[in-house]
Amino acid sequence: MTFLIRQISYTATGREIVRDAVLPKPQISIGRAAGSDIHLQDLAVTPDHARIEQVDARRVIVRATGTLGFDVDGRTVTRVDIDAVKGAELRFGAHRITVSHGEDDQIILAVQRVDALSDASEEKDEARVFSLIGLLPGRRAMAWAFALSILIGFLAIPIISYATRPAPDTRNIYAVKDERQAQMQKASLTQGDTVTGDAAWSPGPLSKAHHALEGKCESCHVKAFVAVQDTACQTCHNPKDVHEHAPAARIAMARETPGLGGRFLASVASAFGKPPAGSCVDCHSEHEGAAPMQQTAQQFCTDCHGTMDQRLKDTKLGNAGDFSTSHPQFEPAVMVAPAGIGMKYPRFDRISLDKKPTDNSGLKFPHDMHLSKSGGVARMARTLKAQEGYGDALACADCHRPTADGVRFLPVDMETDCQSCHSLGFESVGGTVRTLRHGQPEQVIADLRAYYRSTGPARPIALGGMARRLPGDYAATKVNAAYVQAASARPGNAEAAIRAVFSKGGACYDCHVITPPGAGGNASWHVTPVNQPMRYMMNGWFDHAAHKTETCESCHAAPKSKQASDLLLPGIANCRQCHGGEKAKVDVPSGCALCHSYHIGDGAPWVPANSIQDKTVAKVIALSGATASKASTGGLSSNTKRNR
Amino acid sequence: MATRATTSRRVKGETRHDGFLTHAGFRWLKIATALCLVVIASYLMIDITPRHNGGSWYGYTLGTIGVLLILWLTALGMRKRAMTTGRWSLKAWTSAHVYLGLSLIVIGTMHTGFQLGWNVHTLAWALMMLVIVSGMFGVAMYAGIPAALSDNRDEMTQGQMLDALRAIDRQLHDAAQPLPHEQAEAVQWSLDQDPFSGGLWRRLTGNYPNCATARAQAALRQWTGARPDTGDDPLERVDALLERKQAMLARLRKHLRLRALLEIWLYVHVPATFALLAALTAHIVSVFFYW
Repeated sequence: MTFLIRQISYTATGREIVRDAVLPKPQISIGRAAGSDIHLQDLAVTPDHARIEQVDARRVIVRATGTLGFDVDGRTVTRVDIDAVKGAELRFGAHRITVSHGEDDQIILAVQRVDALSDASEEKDEARVFSLIGLLPGRRAMAWAFALSILIGFLAIPIISYATRPAPDTRNIYAVKDERQAQMQKASLTQGDTVTGDAAWSPGPLSKAHHALEGKCESCHVKAFVAVQDTACQTCHNPKDVHEHAPAARIAMARETPGLGGRFLASVASAFGKPPAGSCVDCHSEHEGAAPMQQTAQQFCTDCHGTMDQRLKDTKLGNAGDFSTSHPQFEPAVMVAPAGIGMKYPRFDRISLDKKPTDNSGLKFPHDMHLSKSGGVARMARTLKAQEGYGDALACADCHRPTADGVRFLPVDMETDCQSCHSLGFESVGGTVRTLRHGQPEQVIADLRAYYRSTGPARPIALGGMARRLPGDYAATKVNAAYVQAASARPGNAEAAIRAVFSKGGACYDCHVITPPGAGGNASWHVTPVNQPMRYMMNGWFDHAAHKTETCESCHAAPKSKQASDLLLPGIANCRQCHGGEKAKVDVPSGCALCHSYHIGDGAPWVPANSIQDKTVAKVIALSGATASKASTGGLSSNTKRNR
Repeated sequence: MATRATTSRRVKGETRHDGFLTHAGFRWLKIATALCLVVIASYLMIDITPRHNGGSWYGYTLGTIGVLLILWLTALGMRKRAMTTGRWSLKAWTSAHVYLGLSLIVIGTMHTGFQLGWNVHTLAWALMMLVIVSGMFGVAMYAGIPAALSDNRDEMTQGQMLDALRAIDRQLHDAAQPLPHEQAEAVQWSLDQDPFSGGLWRRLTGNYPNCATARAQAALRQWTGARPDTGDDPLERVDALLERKQAMLARLRKHLRLRALLEIWLYVHVPATFALLAALTAHIVSVFFYW
């Protein structure tokens, strides 16, 4: 009944030291207390932790004395029965006690400290524990992970998706190749995006007009590594609808040869396969934001137009480089010969305003008289003030009405705009005034004849009633004879009245140019048709609505115009009071595109909303805060009064 | 004249350390500043329609300069592994790396024309800025931390700090032997404590609210607090040792915090650089792919 306690320890160099002690006792104690048989210097062990009792030659019982157990072969227990021949391993705190059976039925208990005395005492890799290694993923690992995920997500996926997108069906042998390609492109627009992941490649949102193409990159970027070609644009924008500015050959001839830097840039651009100057994308740049497309720069026009006469010797266009400094005087299309005798249509010529052209409208209308603050017209206006809403004198807006869009003015209309003063009434029937029919001279003649035929002269009072005349009353007979004669001759008076109407002092003659019967081969009175053009500048665009803050008189010298033939268009000097070139220090810097459009059409030149126009209007309103209110009295704003 | 300048510089170099920031009289700071001014001036003077963007000729020029600079700056990672002196010394190279890297803020941003969005192009720009900002953080840390690190170490090496902790632990272990189990257990908390425990946040803040040693001391003071110190109470010895251990831990933790601050930027700078190279590749390829 003996225990052999074998204490195993190691020197600092790692050499093993074994000390044996024999305890001839049936039961031994294990604990931290100094008096224990097996003294474990271990704070995890209680002072009296357990007892080991030998039961027979080969069996021992290990029993914890307190509530704290111990480990046997990895399991925590408080009591265990051990066959020493089979052996067991006990664990108390950081110590291991290996139970085995020795000679003479000795129970050998090999005691060894297996854990370091503290965590800090354990082996530490200094380079590791003092650095951030282990706390963060490795730099190399992170670098690979980030780089690969970016390359896969932003490069590999879009390219693979592009390469494997559904191939276009080209089996139709009847389809012409180009047509087929156009169909394919159109199909790709409607079918939707076929390339995954390329949205991240878009450098910015498309313009409003192209918003539907957002994400469908391949509809414009048709081929990889090939710049966007005009054909891509023409899939939707039919070249027949987009008016060519000029024949391509002429444009090429007109374009200024770029300088050294420009030539270098052009050569680089062409080396990278950029389409040449004059292509759609040259001017219409995309991915510039979800607003309307950007306005075309002045430079784009002046490349050709700035010094065009040097290259296009036969051009009729003056050089235009900058509105402030280099722009020809306006050339309105003026009617030089009216339609009429021998001419079905009137003839128009473009004449520079510098040559002071006149415009034969066919009307006799002195503006100065109508706008005068005094005189007959003003008096008439005051008389009709309540009825017609006139001011103390006539204003422009009393006769001139703008079109619905406000861009231009409607032709002056006799019935609406003149007749309140210039009445064509000739008879009152039961309070209703009969008027001559305006614009229909034949009807006027017929109406006058009918009038004279159906009405007699006023019956003289001296003629009395129907009482029989006394014989010898010669005076009455005379009156009667005169009356009867007058009554019988009355229809013949119509011709004189007609002549009077169409001649000097007559209702028609006052305003219109009249040709009497016989002259020029016409059988009847002829009124020359009135020409009131709504647009004079056929290649430029002028929007009256944009100039609401100005008075009419600030551009049109109507109050001083004595002749109807005066062309009251302002010259370029007038415009330059506010407008200048794109970069000019003026109230309204104006590029070419403010008035001109490249793809010439009937409409206004394309201007992005919220850009120059709105800004300009806001600026001008701010500038002319005081004059704006003044303008509204005599200017356009008063037209609401007239719109009865 | 030139020789005199060189000699005087050499004499200066012997007496005073010339860091990479001040290298050669701020030569690279001047070059980088000039570069930035040229870029800003040309950005303002050159009229690109409709507005500045990476796709104009000017944008491509800045982009090319930018990408070449980025590649060269990345090469510092290889260059630093071969230390040389002289005109193209590693110090000169590092100086150029820092200042030319900063000038990329101007070059890269002007290249964008301030058109940023949720796309791979802006990703490249953002990564570039992240690399630069982390680099700036690194330089700032390099300016102050080494001195603080040296002050805190008090001429102890890292190994010595660890050894000091171990010595305290051994004494704690011995001193706690006579203690009853509950008290011994509290001491064991401190012994079992890993002085390098705690995640990145603890490292960077140096704040360890649940420190086992502090807990052990607080627990033991429940017994010692109400008793007079007789001088031979093992608990008082343990308490004194725990006090010493806490002081040592505080120094170690400050050391770890300073080292973490000194290292952390590289964990952003280096991976972000490679992410940037990948994003740059995607940026350039995608631009020409959808040309």
